[in-house]
Amino acid sequence: MNQTLKKKAVYVAVLLSLGTAVAVADDKPVTDAPKVSRAAAAKLWSWQPVQAQNTPQVKQQKWVRTPIDAFVLAKIEAKGLQPSKDADRATFIRRATLDVLGVIPSPEEVKAFVNDKSPDAYEKLADRLLASPHYGERQARRWLDLARYADSTGFQNDTTRPNMWRYRDYVINAFNQDKPYDRFVKEQLAGDEIAPDDQNALIATGFLIGYPDNYNSRDLVQRKYQIETDMTDTVGLALLGQTVGCARCHNHKTDKITQKDYFSLQAFFANTSVNEKYALKEKGEQEKNYEAAQAKYQEATKSIRDQQKAILDIFRESGVKYHKERYLTDSREAIFKPEAQWTPLDRWVNHRLENVSNDRDVEGYLRIVAEDKNHPQHTKETEEKWAEFKKLAADLKKFDDIKPNSGSRYISAVTELGHPDSPPTRIRFTGTHEKPLDEVQPAFPVALTSEQPNIVPSATSSGRRTALANWIANANNPLTARVYVNRVWAQYFGTGIVKTVSDFGKAGDKPSNPELLDYLAGNFVKDGWSIKKLHRQILLSSVYRQSSDERREVYKADPDNQVLAVFPRRRLDAEQIRDSLLTASGQLTDKIGGPSVFPPIPGGVVTGYNNFDNNPLWKVSPDVKDQNRRSLYVFTRRSVPYPMLEVFDPANPQLVHSKRDVTTTPLQALTLFNSETVFGWSQALAGRVINEAGRNESAEVDRLYQILFARNADKAEKATLHTFLAHQEKLIRDKATDGKFAINLPTGVKATQGQDPIHLAAFVDLVHTVANSNEFSYRF
Amino acid sequence: MNNQSRRDFLRNAGLGLGGVAMSGYLPGGGFFSAATAAELVDPLTPKSPHFPAKVKTVIWLHMDGAPSTLDLFDYKPELQKLAGKPIPESFLKGIKTSTQGGITKLFWSEKRTFKQYGDSGAYFSDLLPNLSAHADKIAFIKSSVTVGATHDISILKLNTGDVNPGRPSLGAWISYQLGSANKDLPSYVVLYNDKQEPRAGSVNWSSGFLPAVYQGVAFRPGDSPILNLERPGYMGAKEQRNSLDLLARLNGQRGARYTEDTELIARTRSYDLADRMQTSAPEAVDLTKETDATREAYGLNDEATKSYGETLLRARRLTERGVRFIQVVSGPAVADGDFRNWDAHSKLEDNHSKNARMVDKPIAALLADLKDRGLLDTTLVVWASEFGRTPWGESGDGRDHNAWGYTQWMAAGGVKAGSTFGATDEIGVQSVGKTVDTYDLHATVLNLMGLDHLKTTFLHDGRSERPTVVYGEVIKDLIG
Repeated sequence: MNQTLKKKAVYVAVLLSLGTAVAVADDKPVTDAPKVSRAAAAKLWSWQPVQAQNTPQVKQQKWVRTPIDAFVLAKIEAKGLQPSKDADRATFIRRATLDVLGVIPSPEEVKAFVNDKSPDAYEKLADRLLASPHYGERQARRWLDLARYADSTGFQNDTTRPNMWRYRDYVINAFNQDKPYDRFVKEQLAGDEIAPDDQNALIATGFLIGYPDNYNSRDLVQRKYQIETDMTDTVGLALLGQTVGCARCHNHKTDKITQKDYFSLQAFFANTSVNEKYALKEKGEQEKNYEAAQAKYQEATKSIRDQQKAILDIFRESGVKYHKERYLTDSREAIFKPEAQWTPLDRWVNHRLENVSNDRDVEGYLRIVAEDKNHPQHTKETEEKWAEFKKLAADLKKFDDIKPNSGSRYISAVTELGHPDSPPTRIRFTGTHEKPLDEVQPAFPVALTSEQPNIVPSATSSGRRTALANWIANANNPLTARVYVNRVWAQYFGTGIVKTVSDFGKAGDKPSNPELLDYLAGNFVKDGWSIKKLHRQILLSSVYRQSSDERREVYKADPDNQVLAVFPRRRLDAEQIRDSLLTASGQLTDKIGGPSVFPPIPGGVVTGYNNFDNNPLWKVSPDVKDQNRRSLYVFTRRSVPYPMLEVFDPANPQLVHSKRDVTTTPLQALTLFNSETVFGWSQALAGRVINEAGRNESAEVDRLYQILFARNADKAEKATLHTFLAHQEKLIRDKATDGKFAINLPTGVKATQGQDPIHLAAFVDLVHTVANSNEFSYRF
Repeated sequence: MNNQSRRDFLRNAGLGLGGVAMSGYLPGGGFFSAATAAELVDPLTPKSPHFPAKVKTVIWLHMDGAPSTLDLFDYKPELQKLAGKPIPESFLKGIKTSTQGGITKLFWSEKRTFKQYGDSGAYFSDLLPNLSAHADKIAFIKSSVTVGATHDISILKLNTGDVNPGRPSLGAWISYQLGSANKDLPSYVVLYNDKQEPRAGSVNWSSGFLPAVYQGVAFRPGDSPILNLERPGYMGAKEQRNSLDLLARLNGQRGARYTEDTELIARTRSYDLADRMQTSAPEAVDLTKETDATREAYGLNDEATKSYGETLLRARRLTERGVRFIQVVSGPAVADGDFRNWDAHSKLEDNHSKNARMVDKPIAALLADLKDRGLLDTTLVVWASEFGRTPWGESGDGRDHNAWGYTQWMAAGGVKAGSTFGATDEIGVQSVGKTVDTYDLHATVLNLMGLDHLKTTFLHDGRSERPTVVYGEVIKDLIG
């Protein structure tokens, strides 16, 4: 806090000296616009155009493999330091494979690279990694962090969003196809408007509609405001690196974004609704399988469901009316208004109502009037019919096993409901929905740009989001390219050139190497916004190739490692840990895309059913192959974070997640050491090692180390492991004579005849322990 | 936390780096100052409060589903008088209501009676025969207000201060600001007397944008409260010990290359902590160590009170062991789930008699037990709910949600015992006079923990965030 306050004070001083008065340090809401007298002169660095950069002169020209290196080396030399030596090849390929693909490399890949004598060995490696479809998966995960991606709505009901995985797959494919970043952004903001016939562009708008949502909200007008707020804040943080959300309740306290600017941005989304049932143009295998499974369920349950429907039909009119009455005053005004009189806002509200209503509303009504003998509408008939309905529901439940648990046949995407006219957007006093002030029109922040949005409505859409997309995904926008290249940089080096990766405002950090940032941003645009080219340049740089070995003199001179004279080692993130353990054990299912899956969760977590559609929140995928898919495909149920990932600081899907934390907790140790699932993987890994190394302790240990750490065990380690094995065997043997005899054996071993099971059990424990060691969970 | 995260963390926490006294060494970059050295290694290192704390532990009793406090604490003779009559329009001024089940007729259960208790003369209804004996330990807040008409958003607000998910819960803020008082247990524990997790799950005990280490740890019912606490069945204690020794040795051997890497050291140590937690956590919830008299007092011998009683007895054991924040979510009133919670849109009498029975005796026992053990003065017990219920009868004999005026209370440590703050109108629709929003409640709880809610800050996405968002006022009248 001291730092922030100090910073504020500094800014106040600077701004005042420029003859500018900005409300920065008081806590009261400010409703009048700040007076910016010489906006251009005071413009924040990140709001100024990206500057063309000349590669700086450096002493050690030999070290410069890419322009990046010159920019970094200039800073290293300025500190009077030397860059680190290159990491050895095995360390490098483990690092690069984890960074680009999210998993550890195979021993064969390591060996091939280590032995590759060709002059372009590194180039070949980079190209192989970037061409792998798993590159798209890894990059997608990072993008989905920003898109607060989830497969469910969150809140109490936490309803499944059955089509969101299509957006996830769109993102994977976009990275794999190296879709230019400007196009990528435009499709996600306005795919429905700019390419209405391109189904993928439609799916891309899943970026906007991933907001947490409560289907049972009784205040639909307020909900609209919450949704627009989410979209505006998400776009601001993820694409522009601007904390525009701060200006919702009052003028931004540090940046020149007024409350009016904020709501003018929000106005771009005023007419945005969601359609969760866009028809698919072409059915693929997934859809065919899903429909077949659905048809099987529908057929088996037809008679039951028909009878249920017949009962609900009797009470439908009163049930629907009862349901509609639950909404609050202003929502009800829209709901009970004849369609001919609908305003654009009424249109939005009624569409929303349709999206969140189903037969369960009528069922709920019937239950209440039937069960409550004092209810004014209670009759003998309601009681009888409810009893009948309940019996049918119990019968229906018996078919749950054949009810498809994932998959879909629709697309979810943005829609403007076929109308170009938008509901009004108003400034809200202190951001409070109930306190509307003046109406505003869509516009960009005034102090940031003088550009006016070019809004061209079509017959069916307002054109507002297209105008916003064209401004953001534009070479002239000073923020878009800078923010993105900085995110990619942070992926590789742990820290961005601007450390506050989603805050390029005044309260954020200044770039540690502004020339490098502008070089990267400018080059990115020049390269046609090619993300792969950006990654390739980083991967081939000397900066990235440096060793992470400790160097005391560097730490003394550069405590924060800002100039990157050593490579920063880092703990693997949640997905890398799980996926690498699966890879090591040979259990990883290498399938890309498709509906999300449900691996088993520990018995202590008991999940229920959701109220909206009465489906289970977590129904374990029956096929073990599905259970062992990459973590990217684990169903993101907002209210049931997958426990194994949850302890390792994954993205929080409730908000734009800018940066993965690294915390070290005993719960992580418990997970990796005690989880039956992880233990099962260790058994499989032990089996793999035995199969691949043959029964020779030294060879086994080397193989294990090659798989996990891309190296052989040294002498001291082998001695330690040997001692352990002997002692562990003895302990297990003692237990065996106790009569209580349960041991764990390696799984998947081709030939176990003649093997001492107790020795094998001890070996599993060895494998499990080595996999738990620090070296596995880090990349150096 | 890795070193980078730690530096970010310190920066976010406003602590800054670059102290002169260099006692630690950060591989991957840097030195840190002596003042923060311990914190760098362990983010849960105990930290000093802003001013002397009145209490050490908060037991946060969330009454899930929202009880009608008009039927428990907030006696309204006028409502009784007007029962069956239409609600006068004047009471509805300024609020948005639903009309489901009819809004017109005021409702009063024929069975409801109120009496005054203790020196304070506080009213309790017939539904709380045991709790009423503790009237003089309680400070009532009878003008509670909040936002929202549905449970989920208002529960979020009750726990995190916002109607949208993503902010840290109150317990996470406390954990972040004070660290842990017992290394062998989490500092923030969530309990619930249900077979399944409370609805909406961990967003209600989330660390939000704070590092994940500060989130609440859900203690599951049963002997082994933490996930993966028990080693796999086929691994004996001795084998595990041998394996953990191997792990430490391997980490040490390899760690020789990174001799002063605090993060790697912390990771090695986390396995020792986990090992200790394997013993300490089951012990903390082992109710067989309690006397028959205690078990009886908490209602463990009665099906109606058993599950909630066990939960509160666990809460007391965790209090004794220094856990800072214990969030208790009430579960279904009867084992077969006839009533999932207090949400009585109809059949209020039936619902509330069962729910009140479930909590009345155990809460009374908890207050008595805390006193007997000398913990009353250092433990704050809060009765909280997402909102209250309307005086008009929904569907004839139920009550709808009421965010405009309801009762919550604080008891035991630090509070002005035997007092009442605020009031609702004559029939209990809206608060009159000074209101207490969730932010004010949070500010007051933090104050009792020795924390200034304005100084409990974390820099996130460009904002210096605090538990009370941009609101909150310590209600001094509630503090003893």
